Amino acid sequence: MSVGHDDLSARFQDQSRLAFGAAVTDLARQDPRVVALSADTVDLIGLRELMQNAPDRVLETGIAEQNTMGIASGLATVGMRPHVCGYAPFITARSMEQLRNDVAYARQPVVIGAACSGIALGVSGGTHHAVEDLALMRAMPNMTVLVPADPMEAYLLTIAAADRDGPVYVRLGGRVPEPPVTPPGTRPEIGRARVLEEGSDVTVIACGCLVTEALAAARDCAASGLSVRVINMHSVKPLDDDAVLTAAAETGRIVTAEEHRLPGGLGSAVAELLARQHPVPMRFVALPDSFAVVGPTDQVRARYGLTAAAIAGACRELVA
Amino acid sequence: MLRRLEAEALAIRRNIWRALRAGGSGHMGGSLSAADLLAALYFRFLRIRPDEPDWSDRDRFVLSKGHANAALGAVLVRAGFCDESLLDRFYGYESPFGMHPDITLAGVEMSTGGLGHGLSVGLGMALGARLQGRNFRTVVMIGDGELQEGSNWEAAMAAAHHGTSALTAIVDYNKVQQSGHVDAMLGIEPLADKWAAFGWEVREIDGHDMEQIVTALDALPCSHSRPTVIIAHTVKGKGTSFAEDSYLWHSTAVPDDVYRRAMAELGGEP
Repeated sequence: MSVGHDDLSARFQDQSRLAFGAAVTDLARQDPRVVALSADTVDLIGLRELMQNAPDRVLETGIAEQNTMGIASGLATVGMRPHVCGYAPFITARSMEQLRNDVAYARQPVVIGAACSGIALGVSGGTHHAVEDLALMRAMPNMTVLVPADPMEAYLLTIAAADRDGPVYVRLGGRVPEPPVTPPGTRPEIGRARVLEEGSDVTVIACGCLVTEALAAARDCAASGLSVRVINMHSVKPLDDDAVLTAAAETGRIVTAEEHRLPGGLGSAVAELLARQHPVPMRFVALPDSFAVVGPTDQVRARYGLTAAAIAGACRELVA
Repeated sequence: MLRRLEAEALAIRRNIWRALRAGGSGHMGGSLSAADLLAALYFRFLRIRPDEPDWSDRDRFVLSKGHANAALGAVLVRAGFCDESLLDRFYGYESPFGMHPDITLAGVEMSTGGLGHGLSVGLGMALGARLQGRNFRTVVMIGDGELQEGSNWEAAMAAAHHGTSALTAIVDYNKVQQSGHVDAMLGIEPLADKWAAFGWEVREIDGHDMEQIVTALDALPCSHSRPTVIIAHTVKGKGTSFAEDSYLWHSTAVPDDVYRRAMAELGGEP
């Protein structure tokens, strides 16, 4: 599929959740097997246009995530390519058993678009924060786990996910700004990380909205003579082992950064690999093992150190 | 025709016990209660090709009460999807025939076992058929205790909303679950009224009367805009008197003497 970045960006309105909907809309135009399932999330994911132009390709399943996930599995068994669209906290935890049994265990190619992940819904409180979803999804055999860093990457990874032989989880943002980090004209690959900034002293491996913060941290560190490599690990599973091991070998220190609780997320994935194959000193920028406070997303992020300053601090700590 | 189906049901019951003996234990109660229904489904109703299990236009059958997998294996063997030797691999190491259905086994449409999953999956199959313009039908067998899982009612609501008349649910209403009688555990009555209120066509039959079973299946679809549920009143452990209508025979060990008693009642080879 040819991609015109400017045209696409206008459709996304700088939101990865809408980029997912745009990708599903474009896939549905080309592939009669593609169908979207909305758990009362038509506008959240940007499916209104598809629903109006091809009503039978958007299946509204209501506020019933368990049933939505089961239907998706059934659709996949008869040869459809279902794309489930939901709120990250509910489409993972509420439908967890359907996700495990009907989708992952039965190995059905269901693509899950999980909007408002992390603490995008900061003011909504702990019920609406999705900060253990990566742990749940990573622990699921057969599951591919993608964390786009910006809307363009969300669009391109969703297109790439359509060819995947098995279920795919795509972690999406909410209504907070998602500054672009994807170099124009490039195309992300599942299982391949992107080195966005070269560096030799420390490597920051980040995903999602923390990639922007990592790049800012690298600039800050560079100003004081510290050379920081920045890797966008959009593919949390399969992890790009080579990129991690190369970074460990060449920079000797690793910082991970994610909008997720520490247990089971990107930091865990990187640590599990390095502990076995190339142990190096590490620091983790992640949410602590507690429920986050209620508040505007930027303030909650700052409270828990999901910031460029905290990432830069972790880098300096490692070289101290 | 009815005599032939009854003979198949008897053969299925013998196969169930054979599998249970091979496994050393298993869910006899809910497997035996479903035997007559499965015989009618596989030897009369379902359009299937055992020599071409992946035929895309086949009817789909999902055993949502996956713990009755001994019965599913029993009928798949009878229908010719699998060799009879499968029965002797029940609970075996790396066997495709464990306690619960495995989608990798020929004839099995979905891996089930967690309760309250099958109706949603079957609804997805039925919706897929409609999207693809195909005419296959989907049947989901649900246990009565299983209906305590709320997800069934999400699926029931959605199936009626989407008017999936090619979807049929069969409730194997044997009145007994793992720890006691259903009405003493968490009652599901008035069951017919519940399904009707959710927008389904409801039929109630004696799930051991082959004529009633066949009549109900032959009448499908009962509506062109609504799904149908067949509430089949059955007896847990049906066919082996010592195991009937008791939660103690939901799932238990099958030593040789139990197997011999069962086979003696079913007129099979010990």
